[in-house]
Amino acid sequence: MSGAGRLSAQIGIVVGIFLAWEAAVQTGVANPRIVPPPSQVLPMALAMLGDPEVLHHLWITSAQVMLAFVLVAPLGVAIGLLLGESDYFGRAFKPFFYFVASVPKSVFLPVFILAFGIGFTQKVAFGMFQAIFVLVISAIAAADSVSADYLKMARAYGASRRQIYQDIYLPAMLPVIVEGLRLGMIFNITGVLFAEMYVSRAGLGHLVANWGMSFEMVKLFAGILLAAVLSIAVNESLRWYEKRIGAWRG
Amino acid sequence: MARLTVVAEERDGAGGGEANLRADGVTHVFETAGGPLMAVTDVSFTVEEGTFVGLVGPSGCGKSSLLQMMAGLLNPTEGRIVMGEEEIREPRPAEIGVVFQESSLLPWKSARENVEFPLYLRGVERSVREKKALEMLDLVGLGEFAERRPHELSGGMKQRVAIARGFCQDPSVLLMDEPFAALDEQTRMTLGDELLQIWERHKKTVVFVTHSLTEAVYLCDKVLVMSARPGRILKEIDIALPRPRTYDLMATETFGRLRAEIWELIRGGDRP
Repeated sequence: MSGAGRLSAQIGIVVGIFLAWEAAVQTGVANPRIVPPPSQVLPMALAMLGDPEVLHHLWITSAQVMLAFVLVAPLGVAIGLLLGESDYFGRAFKPFFYFVASVPKSVFLPVFILAFGIGFTQKVAFGMFQAIFVLVISAIAAADSVSADYLKMARAYGASRRQIYQDIYLPAMLPVIVEGLRLGMIFNITGVLFAEMYVSRAGLGHLVANWGMSFEMVKLFAGILLAAVLSIAVNESLRWYEKRIGAWRG
Repeated sequence: MARLTVVAEERDGAGGGEANLRADGVTHVFETAGGPLMAVTDVSFTVEEGTFVGLVGPSGCGKSSLLQMMAGLLNPTEGRIVMGEEEIREPRPAEIGVVFQESSLLPWKSARENVEFPLYLRGVERSVREKKALEMLDLVGLGEFAERRPHELSGGMKQRVAIARGFCQDPSVLLMDEPFAALDEQTRMTLGDELLQIWERHKKTVVFVTHSLTEAVYLCDKVLVMSARPGRILKEIDIALPRPRTYDLMATETFGRLRAEIWELIRGGDRP
């Protein structure tokens, strides 16, 4: 199937889902008090993008997500590369990361509230906590993905240590690291929104949780839609970058 | 035959022995988790300048270790590797080129960038190394594929790129570590022939590790046959076949006899 043909089919599917949703509400299959129709949700979502109060909350969530990411990305990648490349640290600490990675991070949220309160800092800290494990694990995988054949070849042609890092390790690892950053970003957004929904005074998660509790279904669905669209946009732009720098992976 | 005489004279003229490669009582012991493992033991031989020498033996006989020691990637536990007058303890990319299997191509670089990589490492100016790389790619018949990445090339084409990379610095010695092992029989024959054509023109000293006996007899002036681990040289066999080599040589009695002789040695050497 051609690229254009596939794209129009995909757009068709999305439009189809919205139409089926609308039809389900209009024909009474779905209860409009619980599931409001897209004809109300979509205009509400658009109106929210012009509402200074909603934008303020959105900005707070974005700031928390961005700050958490800027702090955790270099930290996670550095730890992962250290564990992946150093025999001693790898053997000592890798199992710890694999074990804890499998524990649902949400059970730690009360600890974060006690330690950091319920404000901005706690959201950033919890977003970082959610993201760091996948970052570390994917950076370990990135270090492992550098083929010994490349290193042997580079050494035979007289590459210096610096050249081996700059011309072999870096380009070989970059696509895997960017993939890890993308996954880390998803976990980070999840952590921040979850923390906001649990207890907070601001942010998109706080709004969504409140709309749900006060039974404002149109606003609730519009909020969910905004969160979904924003997350997809962030994820897809990182994926585009990942594909571009990893085109050689074939 | 006049041409052959000229080549022989040239060889004599240039034969100051700077590119003679010699192993003197080389032993290599690997330290493994299960204790020390002797890869090769007391290996001595001389590869004369401008000759094509094969290294064959059963799997794990240490032929790749030996090649890596000649490349300076590995140091002998005992004995020494000498080129001309100097001992080799580290890689010497300007004089010794290594052709690895196609898996050693850097997948994020184009064919041209892969070929010029050794020059890039030495800080050669961009325009110079590009020109040289394109020249080398033309030599292996891949001029029009210069900007393709390895994943867009077939196995045989990738191996040609690896060969071009080995030739790029115009080294006097070329070490080839089972370069065609990952290729199918037909591609391997074609590439062997192409390699010989290039070699006839450039007359480098070549050490060629292979586990294909046919390939060894077809390509080489001399074949060093190794025993199973710990590897020793069982015999040096002179391949007295005329050059340039052609496929019909494979049907000759001499070819069959030489191949059988090597096989007998390897099989016999395997027995305790």
